[in-house]
Amino acid sequence: MIDSAKPRPETWLKTRGRGFIVAAVALLFGLPQYATSFPIEGDQAVLPAGTELNEDAADVPHEILSSEYRGDRTSYVVALGDLAFNSPAILGDVARRAGISCGTCHVNGASNAKLFVPGLSTRPGTFDTTGALFNPKADNHVFDPVRIPSLRGARYLAPYGHDGRITSLRDFIRNVVVNEFAGPEPSTTILDAIVAYVQEIEFLPNPKLGRRGRLNETASETERRGEALFSKPFPHDPTLSCAACHQPSGAFVDHLQHDVGSGGLFKTPTLLNANFNAPYFHDGRYDNLGQVVDHFDREFGLGLSAQDRGDLVAYLSAVGDGRQPYDRDSVMVRFKEISNFSLLLAQAIGMHDRETVELAVDTLGGELRDLIERFPDHRDTAVTGALVERRLARGAVKDVVISLRRIATAMMSGDFDAATAEYRSYYDLTFSRAMPLLRGTEPWSLFNPALREAHDAQRRQMLRAAQAQR
Amino acid sequence: MTAAIKTRMSNRNRIVAVLSPHARNWCGAVRGAIVAICLAANAGAAPLDAAAESYRRCLIDDIGRSLNAARTLRERLLAGDLDGAKRAWIESRIGWERSEVFTSGFVPELDQQIDAWPNAIHGFHGIEAKLFGANRTDVGNETDALIAHLADLQAQIEHVHLAPQRLLNGVARLAFEIGGNKADGGESRLSGTSLNDMQNNIDGIELAYRVIFSDAIEAGDPGLAGATRAAIERIKAAVRISDLRRLNAEKLRADSEELVALLQSAGPKIGLRKPTLEEGSE
Repeated sequence: MIDSAKPRPETWLKTRGRGFIVAAVALLFGLPQYATSFPIEGDQAVLPAGTELNEDAADVPHEILSSEYRGDRTSYVVALGDLAFNSPAILGDVARRAGISCGTCHVNGASNAKLFVPGLSTRPGTFDTTGALFNPKADNHVFDPVRIPSLRGARYLAPYGHDGRITSLRDFIRNVVVNEFAGPEPSTTILDAIVAYVQEIEFLPNPKLGRRGRLNETASETERRGEALFSKPFPHDPTLSCAACHQPSGAFVDHLQHDVGSGGLFKTPTLLNANFNAPYFHDGRYDNLGQVVDHFDREFGLGLSAQDRGDLVAYLSAVGDGRQPYDRDSVMVRFKEISNFSLLLAQAIGMHDRETVELAVDTLGGELRDLIERFPDHRDTAVTGALVERRLARGAVKDVVISLRRIATAMMSGDFDAATAEYRSYYDLTFSRAMPLLRGTEPWSLFNPALREAHDAQRRQMLRAAQAQR
Repeated sequence: MTAAIKTRMSNRNRIVAVLSPHARNWCGAVRGAIVAICLAANAGAAPLDAAAESYRRCLIDDIGRSLNAARTLRERLLAGDLDGAKRAWIESRIGWERSEVFTSGFVPELDQQIDAWPNAIHGFHGIEAKLFGANRTDVGNETDALIAHLADLQAQIEHVHLAPQRLLNGVARLAFEIGGNKADGGESRLSGTSLNDMQNNIDGIELAYRVIFSDAIEAGDPGLAGATRAAIERIKAAVRISDLRRLNAEKLRADSEELVALLQSAGPKIGLRKPTLEEGSE
């Protein structure tokens, strides 16, 4: 009954955000689609001052799941994996207290190119998974951050880890949860679900690529010359070419590790959707594809002319492209995820699955509380219009949060009938009351870029006051 | 960590260290006295309106202390006493945060003037930014405005109609608020006193609950009254920590939401409606 009433999500888009406080200099490095944001400031936060999680980004990566391609509904297992992927509760104490989930680094399965944690990142988009902050026992005492990878197409990209040390995606994910982020041993159900979810994350479709990874008829002359160069044997070793490792017919990988003069053996990264995966190389040392081409020209003595380099960059940019890489964050983007997780919650209640209900209530509650903050109350001096409507919208979402809590309480006490009844109330509150109020008030929320800028401008002014010595 | 932040931490820790023994004794004694006075005034299970009148005296007392501390802040600024000014700012926050049960819903305009957030250029947090962030004492104008607004508030409290329904709304809203995300350092992060804010918030919730609603709920549904008291105690225990970074945020959020749910159940048991969680959403 509940399933049939649910809107079928067309996409699965997620953002998280908790409105981290002001800092003096917005980190502007990264993709132009991202708005200026505010790293953590002060000495009372769980994460170090200067941390940037980019959770206030105006645009969020677009995610496509395999089931969407097939026109199917997302399975329970995949939805559970999606939920767990976006829940801090499955990770260790520090991550939970900081509100970090898998989805913080891999936003909708894409890489978070702006994430920066002082002491764990050398530059935005990199992270030392063997640092001490999240799990002191995993600390290798070497500052060796690696690029945060995109998970798009992960099922085609074994082995896993930049050095390709782990063959199984399941083993790799368990390692991230248990060792890198000190989470408790995940149940088989949760681990399998996360694997199922990650395996569903597709590459963005690329309108420039045809069969077997070849450029199609839309390609330019420059791109075609680049494609030819890509397969041309290297002058000093004819057994080598770019395409020998980045095999166009095989997702542009060969599943092997190579030493390309970057400091060791690292697995061949895919080039698909690579336009959205900067920075490049295992340690994120390069900002753009031109620098990558220059590296290979230098290391392998390719003797490329300026035109050759331009052609190769054009080709790599064509291969690395993808349709609709970002979506503007909005109420409806948020509600697509809320809808998906709500469906899962209904199913879990029906199955008397307390663990999943608890996880869903925790994750949904966090997302909803974040949504409330996008609709400032009277204390925000930068947002003045539609206060009555904003309060109504905020109040409605708060009622949803409390309804969720009632579901959890009923489940924990074993009163499944009460939980089912409360879910009906939750459903109505969410989709018949809160969602329309939020949509109607969205122009006066921080989803409105102009209001967001006004809000941020005042935050910057406050920060300047905090930093201006006499 | 930058040198500036280290300096800020060092200054703050020194101030809190100086303040803490006094503040703890003061808070404990005053809280006990206020509750005793208020409960005495409320003896005999007076109707909710009478209980709300008892709570008025508590509010006047808390805002009065906040105002006095703000005046001390002004004096310390004039004396160029940075540490004394910081100490007075922290003291002034105590009564204010205890009164948020009332301020957010009854006087939203003054609430914005006094406690604008998160982009404050005036009020407590505008002063905090300069005083604690930049170690500057040139916040006289902002402090004068704060004093004027607190004095205005104190005057309004004398006469405003304290409808029990609106006070129950205020208790529930503050209970919801206390479960909000603090991973980024909370509300008063530049002074490092966000944890104090939370402790004072729950003290304010407990005070309003005990003075206004406790007896009525006990009479109507003892089990619900017990569960509500237990929920308040759990939140008090959750914030009884030395460092905000040690906060078990998940548990606090669950506890805060359970308290709201209990208060929503309590409303109809004492002749009121289910409390609403935003002004105007009745």
